Amino acid sequence: MRVFDLAHGRSGDKGDICNVGVIAYDDGGFAILREQLTEERVKEHFGPLVTGPVRRYEMPNIRALNFVLNGGLNGGGTQSLRSDALGKVMYAWLLRMELDVAHD
Amino acid sequence: MKTIRLGAGMAFWGDSINPAIDMVRHADIDYLCCDHLAELTMSILSKRMERDPAEGYTPDVLDLLRNVLPVCRERGIKIISNAGGANPRGCAERVVQLCKELGLQGVRIGVVTGDDIRGQIDDLMHDGVSFASLDTGAGLETVRSQLTHANVYIGSDGIVEALEAGADIVICGRVTDVALYIGPMRYELGWAADDWHRLGIGAAVAHIVECGGQATGGLYSKGWQQVSGMAEIGYPIAEVSADGSAVVTKTPGSGGEVTVGTVSEQMVYEILDPGNYLTADVTGDFSQITLEQAGQDRVRVGGVTGRPAPGTLKVNMGYRAGFIGTAQFSYTWPDAYLKAKRALSLLDERLRNADFNCDETRVEWVGHNSMWSPLIPEPDDPDAAEVTVRFTARCPSRQEARKVFSELVPICNNGPAGLGGLGTRLPITELFAVWPCLIPRDLVPSAVEMITV
Repeated sequence: MRVFDLAHGRSGDKGDICNVGVIAYDDGGFAILREQLTEERVKEHFGPLVTGPVRRYEMPNIRALNFVLNGGLNGGGTQSLRSDALGKVMYAWLLRMELDVAHD
Repeated sequence: MKTIRLGAGMAFWGDSINPAIDMVRHADIDYLCCDHLAELTMSILSKRMERDPAEGYTPDVLDLLRNVLPVCRERGIKIISNAGGANPRGCAERVVQLCKELGLQGVRIGVVTGDDIRGQIDDLMHDGVSFASLDTGAGLETVRSQLTHANVYIGSDGIVEALEAGADIVICGRVTDVALYIGPMRYELGWAADDWHRLGIGAAVAHIVECGGQATGGLYSKGWQQVSGMAEIGYPIAEVSADGSAVVTKTPGSGGEVTVGTVSEQMVYEILDPGNYLTADVTGDFSQITLEQAGQDRVRVGGVTGRPAPGTLKVNMGYRAGFIGTAQFSYTWPDAYLKAKRALSLLDERLRNADFNCDETRVEWVGHNSMWSPLIPEPDDPDAAEVTVRFTARCPSRQEARKVFSELVPICNNGPAGLGGLGTRLPITELFAVWPCLIPRDLVPSAVEMITV
């Protein structure tokens, strides 16, 4: 199972920070994401794309987790060599992440 | 209880003006709020103003106003815009000219300035403002000579003052995006400048609508297949009441949709800590936000509050930070990948022979891993019909950046067979970097000037 099976998302830029928000479809999915999408695992999942620490924030009433990826944009939207200089599709990389749960 | 309706007219410089035209004709709005400035738009605008002192604003505002102003006058819709960019007064002069061309009389234009501190940096530093980088702590002197502009993200005070003075159109420079909405909320609903709870709600609602179609079905990762009428997408409208209750909706009859899903996605867009959403007007607390479907294309926003605005304001400074050179080319079957790899190593060798000087390079395989390289491996399928490589380098000078393409060109004839799709040289991009820093808010008074056509 992937994050994609439980949530949708959106991402964007603030300087060299990329933020990735994921929104769970239901409470069960939100509980799984809360447990599994730790700052450490998300940081590991983005590998060399994110050079700084990852911070996680919650908006529980809309079942959202917001990940702040410091150093996530190769110096920032205006300096980045990446095609996705503004981090618009970074959310999709998080949605691709495999979760440690059995499929029903 | 009084309710006002604020429509999102533009979301960025270059945005389509059609949703705004549709909105002023078919929606019952009081204000059209237009955001034209992205993080480093000010660098581009300052550069234009250096070349021509009459420039420096985003010219799309004139096209927009030409199309909406007559209807807005007829229907009593006021317009709030930050299209002034680096030159709000120059922008206002062009708007005056346009009103005359359109035969509109009695239009009152408020010009909000005070955000541009470029000429005061020395004095401010003398008074103890360090402008040290929030990222690295480094002093401003490291980039001082390359500065393109220095504008403070100012809040809604100037907009409120202009509206109190009777403005029909308010032209601002670098006010915050949310101030374009919070200004009319304060003015119309009588919210005090320290009514933190309601201002927090105002900031949340403004955050949701300020990016236009991104709240109404654009960029929707959950249900994009079902979003209808994307070509005629309607931009969002915030209905805000004096007690702070708020609903997000859109232009009746337009495309797109306003659902808990579309609004949730925009809620998480470009925010850091939702419990501390820093703006010049208020520190918003969105951590307990609730969204509820309150009818078709209507979402009620609740659970938001606010705390006092920070004592410091963010300064938007930009500096010249070099150039990016790009080369893109394709190879075909057989062994497309191996040929492209060979061409890349030839390019590397040629650049070394040309004493190439760069800070960083990147290789992406277009159509394969250009978004997430190096997390996705290179496309080494020996039977691939084609591969496309994008090679970029960040260089200290334009001359170095040019080498990226000029050293690739001979490889067309002198390298492996099967190179195609070279095309013309891609433009060299000049880089502007952000210098993130702060300034005490009481050092940045905004000023308002009124012009009547």
